Amino acid sequence: MIFTKIERDRYIDSLETLSETAILNEQPGIETGYVGMATQVFKEVIEEIGLSTPEIAACTEADYVLVASAESEEAFEKAVETVWAESAPTDDAEKPESYLSSAAAKEAEPRANLCQISVPGEYALEEVKKALNAGMHCCVFSNNVPLEQEREMKELAREKGLLCMGPDCGVANINGAALVLSSINNRGPFGIVGASGTGIQHVAAILHEAGSGVSQTIGTGGNDLKEPVGGITMLMGIDALEADPETKYIILISRKPADSVLKKLLSRIRQMRKPRVVFFMGCDRETIEETGSVWAGNLDDCALRALELIHNDYSLGSLSELKEIAGEAVKGMAPEQKYVRGAYTGGTYLDEGMRAMWEATGGLWSNAPMSPEWKLPEGAASREHTAIDYGEEEYTLGRPHPAIDASIRRPAILKEAADPSVAVIVLDFILTPPGHMDPCGYVVPDILKAQELAKSRGGKLVFIASVLGTTADWQDIRKQEQELRDAGVMVCRTNYRAALLASEIIKLRRDA
Amino acid sequence: MADTSKMLSLFRSELVVVNVGPKSFADVLEKQGYTALQVDWKPAAGGDKQMQEMLQYLGGY
Repeated sequence: MIFTKIERDRYIDSLETLSETAILNEQPGIETGYVGMATQVFKEVIEEIGLSTPEIAACTEADYVLVASAESEEAFEKAVETVWAESAPTDDAEKPESYLSSAAAKEAEPRANLCQISVPGEYALEEVKKALNAGMHCCVFSNNVPLEQEREMKELAREKGLLCMGPDCGVANINGAALVLSSINNRGPFGIVGASGTGIQHVAAILHEAGSGVSQTIGTGGNDLKEPVGGITMLMGIDALEADPETKYIILISRKPADSVLKKLLSRIRQMRKPRVVFFMGCDRETIEETGSVWAGNLDDCALRALELIHNDYSLGSLSELKEIAGEAVKGMAPEQKYVRGAYTGGTYLDEGMRAMWEATGGLWSNAPMSPEWKLPEGAASREHTAIDYGEEEYTLGRPHPAIDASIRRPAILKEAADPSVAVIVLDFILTPPGHMDPCGYVVPDILKAQELAKSRGGKLVFIASVLGTTADWQDIRKQEQELRDAGVMVCRTNYRAALLASEIIKLRRDA
Repeated sequence: MADTSKMLSLFRSELVVVNVGPKSFADVLEKQGYTALQVDWKPAAGGDKQMQEMLQYLGGY
């Protein structure tokens, strides 16, 4: 039986409803439950999982819904009670004050200097304007903001001399704080401005691991270097880090900027006084070196070149090491095991992985392919060599990012393992304060089951993984890596190296 | 080049964040030792964009 609880005009954000959904599904007598605001996406999701009812269909986006198939009404009522009790603030006396607007908060606490904004994209411009007008810098996690609106907010920020990081800024470390989905990093002499959140987090994590750290990291959002936005935040970020006495070296990270923006940027970079490393994916070496900057060919290289500036000879290991590991890994595989399957939590690592595996595989199918002919139709099962981005909208619409909601990617493991032609599964994991507290441990049971399944077919399924994060992250990268190793997973230092190891295994299987 | 004084002032000051969005983002900042003020944001007019625009026009936002 399906039971519902509807509260009109009660707004609860998606992270809280996610946590309520998790609690609901743990209650006795509940088969499947779901909690959310009755948006179109919510209605589609509950339709898909068979929980749709006419009452919910009649709800508006302003209504909060709790729905479940339960063995009895009593079990459902009891579960609802528990969900609300567990998600309610524990101590009213200590409940911190909250405010009706950013301006009201600023008035109450005049020291407030940064506004972090994560509202649906259509409301972002209004909230950013309010925060900028109240004199605060902004870090905007909201996405799906039209480019002309992004330009408008960034022009206003520039006029006021305030930073506008984002929209779609997932990573920024300001004064040591890990904002949004960043890792917690040691502080040090490197300032980073980047249009890729994962890219910033990746380079900063290697600097941390090598014993160095970051002064500030400024995320611009992925669209900053597109023509209509014009690189406003990256240019301001460069100016700020050039003037900041704590920043001794500067790192710039992006996909290849639009031509007109690249021209403007290169001319600014040429005038920079501080030593810098530039990684603009797909930009040739000469163009970068001509500006007096150190060129980097990929994210790993970017971190290592930066460390060279401080005479730190940190190494991520050699290719020959990986070849050796691959030689051992393929022992015991069944003859039909030929293919790699990548299940990624975001676009940057998917791209990096596919590039690294392209030659060995001869091409990978994907929901976000390298070229259109490799596009996997939406909802289609993986075929041959495939890599899926679970951060794409088809998986995340109306849900938090897979770095927060680890359940989005989880089904991939057993789904891919069910295909006897699969030899290797590649996974990435990302650590961040608001993220899952044990993302690696969470999927270990599925990994063990998948390995058993392959064994029962007379083969051996290899798992390769990398964990992005630091020893300062609450999940602790060492502990996360160890959980994977204990489950027989080959843990690589970086996502790129994970893809190289997968390539070596595929080459051996191809030639077998 | 941009006027960097306000950005440098941010880098030199104690970070105090106003969080407009999921409260868990404010909670994790406090747990890291920073001050975070939570704004109870909800879509104006219950998420109806046109209604929001109208309210703004009428000065009721």
